[in-house]
Amino acid sequence: MVSYTATGIEGLDVIVNGGFPIGSSIVVDGAPGTGKTILGMQFLYEGAKAENEAGIYITFEEFPEQIYKEMTSFGWDLKALERENKLRVICLSPEVLISQMKQPNGIFEQIIKEIDCKRVVIDSLNLLHFGIENQVEKREVVFTLRNILRKYSLTSLLIHEQTSLNKEEIPFVSYVVDGVIRLSLNEHNGIYRKRTLEVLKMRGCRINEGEHIYRITDEGVYLVPALSMFEDMVVTENQTNVTTGIPALDKMLSGGIPRGTAFVLDTNSKANYKYILASIVSSRILAGEKVILLLSSLSSLYDLEHIYRLYGVELEEVVKQKRIYFIEHYDRPIPESFQSAVLHVKRMNNDEYIETVRAKLNTLVSKDIEDGEKWFVFYDLNTIVSQRGKDFVKRYFTEDIAFIGATGMSMIALSNFTEIGTETASFLERTSHGVFQTWVDGNYQYFQLKKSPQGNMSRPLLVENIQTRPYIRFL
Amino acid sequence: MVSFHLHPLQVECTLFFQDNPYTYETLKGLAMRLGRNAEDLAAVLDQLVSTMVLEMNGTGDSAIYRYIQPVTIDLQKEELCEDM
Repeated sequence: MVSYTATGIEGLDVIVNGGFPIGSSIVVDGAPGTGKTILGMQFLYEGAKAENEAGIYITFEEFPEQIYKEMTSFGWDLKALERENKLRVICLSPEVLISQMKQPNGIFEQIIKEIDCKRVVIDSLNLLHFGIENQVEKREVVFTLRNILRKYSLTSLLIHEQTSLNKEEIPFVSYVVDGVIRLSLNEHNGIYRKRTLEVLKMRGCRINEGEHIYRITDEGVYLVPALSMFEDMVVTENQTNVTTGIPALDKMLSGGIPRGTAFVLDTNSKANYKYILASIVSSRILAGEKVILLLSSLSSLYDLEHIYRLYGVELEEVVKQKRIYFIEHYDRPIPESFQSAVLHVKRMNNDEYIETVRAKLNTLVSKDIEDGEKWFVFYDLNTIVSQRGKDFVKRYFTEDIAFIGATGMSMIALSNFTEIGTETASFLERTSHGVFQTWVDGNYQYFQLKKSPQGNMSRPLLVENIQTRPYIRFL
Repeated sequence: MVSFHLHPLQVECTLFFQDNPYTYETLKGLAMRLGRNAEDLAAVLDQLVSTMVLEMNGTGDSAIYRYIQPVTIDLQKEELCEDM
């Protein structure tokens, strides 16, 4: 089993899901000025302070006295750590290092034993290669280094200075080492610079892909993992999450959609969303919640009966138990057994509609809420927009969400952001607690969690159709 | 009266090791770090080894010089111990 050790940077621990695998050799690649030395020293400093793991920093070029001085600006007293035998900043030549590493009881082995070393930073891999023209020989040097570090179970960062000349060198090194982290400094908004960190490889770790922004602060490197928002976190306190029926989605939502929250599912016309919705709504029914469904123009009650059956829900039974109600905007056949549960609103103007629906909701919900019953609402916002107009949505949607939150109900609304326009779409995004998006690009359908009360977001996931419940899988 | 003559290169070398106490270098490597001629430095290093400022591991060109850190006494701690 792989064990992990903290990286010294909280955000990086999140990206590699817990820390670096113990005993792994990781290349930190970056152009001058990206903060490789700071990241390396932070790994050792925090390792010594927080994890009680001693480390050595090996510098081939820079004088240790310079490093001691520079690192005081982050409040790191390296000499004090050296006195405690928690750190050594070692200065030697690459050839001395390699020869001493190979030698039984050589200087390298002596230091490792002396301080019970667990972490190593080597600055830099380029200098270790300096003067070696032959690629095979270069590879052998890195291979030997990695093997020795692995033998002592040392978690190591091998700093690699990226220059325009050696950009091709990284692929060769990345085969040999266990991980590759790339630091970049890119132009941002014309006049600013954006520092990003990307984990390109990490054996034994599930990594959060993509570029993550970091800053060099008074306390060292501070990294903010991409696709995470925290401002809505409070919403989930003391909430119960109800499964969506889709395991990958539940995982993203820390268990499911929290009670008392409103989500929007944004789709484009090509995307198949009916399984996502059916899985979510039927899971609420199976969890004992009562449901109000605003029917869309695309699915009649006959269609719904069929699809919910796939998820183990007999709608007719639920209607009989008075646990589901439908709002119908269209003239179309309705199964006889469903008649009592359908509220026809086709001929109503907007004022009549809002008055009737709210009165009905109040009658149905108020007493139930007192009795501890939970309600779930599905809104087809596309129907509302086409039948009642965008302004109607803007006017009443916030009120609906407030009512839903206050009564402990939950909601999922279906919308097509492209169709309703940027302004209304951003209003919906802002008003809702969570946003899902599914779309078709080329021959694939994608799904992304773009906002959630838990503060999580996801990268775009592939949507695959499968033969068993819930009939879709996110990859 | 006994007079001491300190070679400037000897001082420079001692200070370098004092500031970078965990340096492990060959004569060639030290000459490069200090920006001095290896021939001039060789005699100074021998002198520092003989006075136990430095330690030499190995022989010939691959011999490695390292600093012997002076034993420091924490006076404050000593006083505390005496008071007890």
